[in-house]
Amino acid sequence: MEIPWTITEEERLLAEECLGYAMKAGASGARVTMNKNMMDLFSMLNGELDKVTRSGDRSIMLCVFADGKYGTFSTNRLGEEELKDFAEKAVATVRLLEEDPCRKLPDPLRCAKGALTGLEMGLYDPEYAGMDASKRLDLARRACYFGDAKAEGVEVISEECEYSDSISDEYLIDSNGLSCRDIESSFEIGTEYTIQGADGRKYSAYWWDSSTALKDLGLETCGRRAFERALSTVGPAPIKKGRYNLVLSNEVSGRVLSPVLNALKGTALQQKNSFMLDSLGKKIFPSGLNIYDKPCEVGRLGSKLYDSEGVAQRERAIVKDGKVETYFINTYMAGKMGMAPTIESDQRPCVEPFGPAEARDEKSIMELCGDGILVCGFNGGNNNSSTGDFSYGIEGFHFKDGKIVKPVEGVVMTGNFLRLWNNLIASGRDSRPCRARQVPTLAFKDVDFSA
Amino acid sequence: MINSQESYFNTFGVGEAQLSKLVEAALEHGGDYADLFFENSTYRELVLRDGKVSTGGFHVDYGVGIRVLKGDKTGYAYSESTQMRDMLATAEAASAIAMGSDTDGRTAAKIVREARSTAATYTVQHSNGDRLVRRFFTGRPNPAADRYPVAMDWRSAAVESLKPYLEKLETAIRRKDSRVLKVIGILEVSMSDILMYNSFSELKYDTRPMGTLAASVVFSDGKSIENSHVSRSFRMGAEMLTEDLIEGLAEQVTSRLDDKFSAKRPKGGVMPVVMGAGASGILLHEAMGHSFEADFNRKGQSIFAHRLGQKVCMDGINIVDDGTIRGNRGALNFDDEGVPGQRTCMVENGVLASYLHDRISAKFYGVTPTGNGRRESFRYNPIPRMRATYMEGGNSEPESIIASVKKGIYVDEFSNGEVKIGEGDFTFYVKSGYLIENGRLTMPVKDINIIGNGPKALADIVAVGNDPKIDDAAWTCGKEQSAAVSCGIPTVLVKELTVGGE
Repeated sequence: MEIPWTITEEERLLAEECLGYAMKAGASGARVTMNKNMMDLFSMLNGELDKVTRSGDRSIMLCVFADGKYGTFSTNRLGEEELKDFAEKAVATVRLLEEDPCRKLPDPLRCAKGALTGLEMGLYDPEYAGMDASKRLDLARRACYFGDAKAEGVEVISEECEYSDSISDEYLIDSNGLSCRDIESSFEIGTEYTIQGADGRKYSAYWWDSSTALKDLGLETCGRRAFERALSTVGPAPIKKGRYNLVLSNEVSGRVLSPVLNALKGTALQQKNSFMLDSLGKKIFPSGLNIYDKPCEVGRLGSKLYDSEGVAQRERAIVKDGKVETYFINTYMAGKMGMAPTIESDQRPCVEPFGPAEARDEKSIMELCGDGILVCGFNGGNNNSSTGDFSYGIEGFHFKDGKIVKPVEGVVMTGNFLRLWNNLIASGRDSRPCRARQVPTLAFKDVDFSA
Repeated sequence: MINSQESYFNTFGVGEAQLSKLVEAALEHGGDYADLFFENSTYRELVLRDGKVSTGGFHVDYGVGIRVLKGDKTGYAYSESTQMRDMLATAEAASAIAMGSDTDGRTAAKIVREARSTAATYTVQHSNGDRLVRRFFTGRPNPAADRYPVAMDWRSAAVESLKPYLEKLETAIRRKDSRVLKVIGILEVSMSDILMYNSFSELKYDTRPMGTLAASVVFSDGKSIENSHVSRSFRMGAEMLTEDLIEGLAEQVTSRLDDKFSAKRPKGGVMPVVMGAGASGILLHEAMGHSFEADFNRKGQSIFAHRLGQKVCMDGINIVDDGTIRGNRGALNFDDEGVPGQRTCMVENGVLASYLHDRISAKFYGVTPTGNGRRESFRYNPIPRMRATYMEGGNSEPESIIASVKKGIYVDEFSNGEVKIGEGDFTFYVKSGYLIENGRLTMPVKDINIIGNGPKALADIVAVGNDPKIDDAAWTCGKEQSAAVSCGIPTVLVKELTVGGE
């Protein structure tokens, strides 16, 4: 199977030569990652072609270990002489840094062995090879809903629709003999609508979908969903300040998981800048909550057989029955923290179903909760990585008796991530396949909302 | 820094004949305008962790972006190679936007000649009554007008000469307070050679330096942990590294530490908010500046669309976006479309006076581009972006502004902000501030959000301090692409905003 825009044999040799140059220049170890990507993007404005973009990239990242010292370097100038000069300068630069005995390549026994062709995870769609400008333009047009939206009598200010497809190829080698490859295609569609309500105000909303296979892309519904979302936000009203049940749509629920995963990383823990300090092996979360990393499921977006060091991925429990089972510790942090290494980072975390069996999706979870706030988007906000305190501006709806009553405006949600997760009511079964982080609709009780 | 024309031609292996040929190739299918953006960037970083500068590296990014405009439509492609064969293929890809359009049988060379003869399609001169105001410097870049001359080029600064600054920074921070637990010091520097050429035969070039020194510090008082991050960033060479800079960063990151540990989340609600001078300028950037970017207005999406010439806030308020501040992170000799860097008054005496334009929107509105066409790198087409956005000083004493508030909140340290362009709704995450009770700063507060609506917040500014201040932290705007910006504001009082709290 010929795959366009992937790393050629000649380019593989360039990567290997770069590794050789670094070793010859005196490195005690080195890792080279070659990346090659191509992306074509067609943007439509109000149903007409507005922008065409073609992006092709090819670069090498070189990690050098020399005299107990370490540095990272990259270049997109890949001529043979340029690469030689690059690698020699990289080694010379590393020698000027200070020694850090914890910097080393991962143990070869921990590294991935099976990522040989890059196609093992089934994330390449052969349809990609047949794409051309006219097909892309046709797909972009099919995602538009502008004409239908105008026909509905709504004052549409603009519809911006973007179709893109891309291919990425990664080739990772190190001086211990590691060799890994990962090839993925991607097809993406996104539409943003801005409409004017009867009240004269503007309302906007966005919808997107992404897939490694063209046939699974939600093309035809994208524009319509963005339009319907914009329409649903017309006429918002403030809510009374207070504590409400929170239902987090599967579109944005990953936002409350990411800070927890970041706090479990060695880089945060070693710097004592984590609200998950000393949590390993402790029951921090509610009984019954399970979060697994599932990076090896073939054909699923986000799956990958190795991390950025080349360490083999495997399924692992992050949280099991409420207990923290994993810190994300790479080779460097393992040395710094005196711990056994695990993996650099979460790859494809999945929040498992939690709560009553009928809690499946947004609708059933709202019915379960009765009254509360359905959050479908965030507008600004942040969290304190040391304490886990957060405050986010939100977009969404007030619901009563399981049914949406009105859109809300000017609302801020505040709390603490540990307290929030301990107030988990339900986790559904409706994670979006287009996300690497598989987080379904979530519901929490007693969340503070200001308005 | 502006070097000789030859040095840029040598860097990219091109001359005027090749540039002209590429533009002609880009217009082969009948576009109205084409431009080329060459970039050769070197980034370096050094990281101090656990007392040692033990991580570092450099990164090279090189290529050319080619853009074709057909009316308001854009074709864009780039190449990481500046071999003529590769660049011609890139020009062909960018020209796709014009395929199928009517060229009236004109050749690419004729289209280019016509464009050059009018030179007005995307660069109309601003007309002030009957008087043509010549605002463009149409000649070659002049080193005498350089806004960021470099005394010490980062590319030739040795690692050994840079490491001590990070070590001194940690020492200075630890000397200030015994509660310091961990320090990460980061020095990030870059130099970018830029060469631009377009179908008007305009040739511009400069070399853009950027240096950022930053510290992330974790503090512990034995009971709880707090963190803080500070940075200073300038379009300067290695001469920016001084003892004063280090001392200033150390002072800032350790200041008001007692308050940080004792700070609480206040009760939320709607209340007057006093924005402290400097970093509160993020309010202008997010809540107003983005809505003034002309692409959002051209498409009718911005809440400020169709409001040019209207009163948007009280008399005396001037809001400026400025690319002319020497050494500022947002300074530009030329924007990324080759338009000279300039100062644009968006709000003048309370009236919306100008949007921020790139060439496309300027043509749409029939005005001169304002030098806001910016891009993250050659990989991106330029779009209207801010530079240094600030409010000019007013007449009130900052103390009297605080004293005028019976019950409200004072904020001066932000870590995030976001706006919905159409609705104008914004949210800012406030790292620290104080309650105001009976005209005095009382309880320290932290980790709250302030939300409001851009036009309303602007109209609700009821006092402007006489203490304008540009914040020199490493602000980066994330509108589709990253862009280095800065912001500033004097102390201002907004009579009513929503504060998220307990």
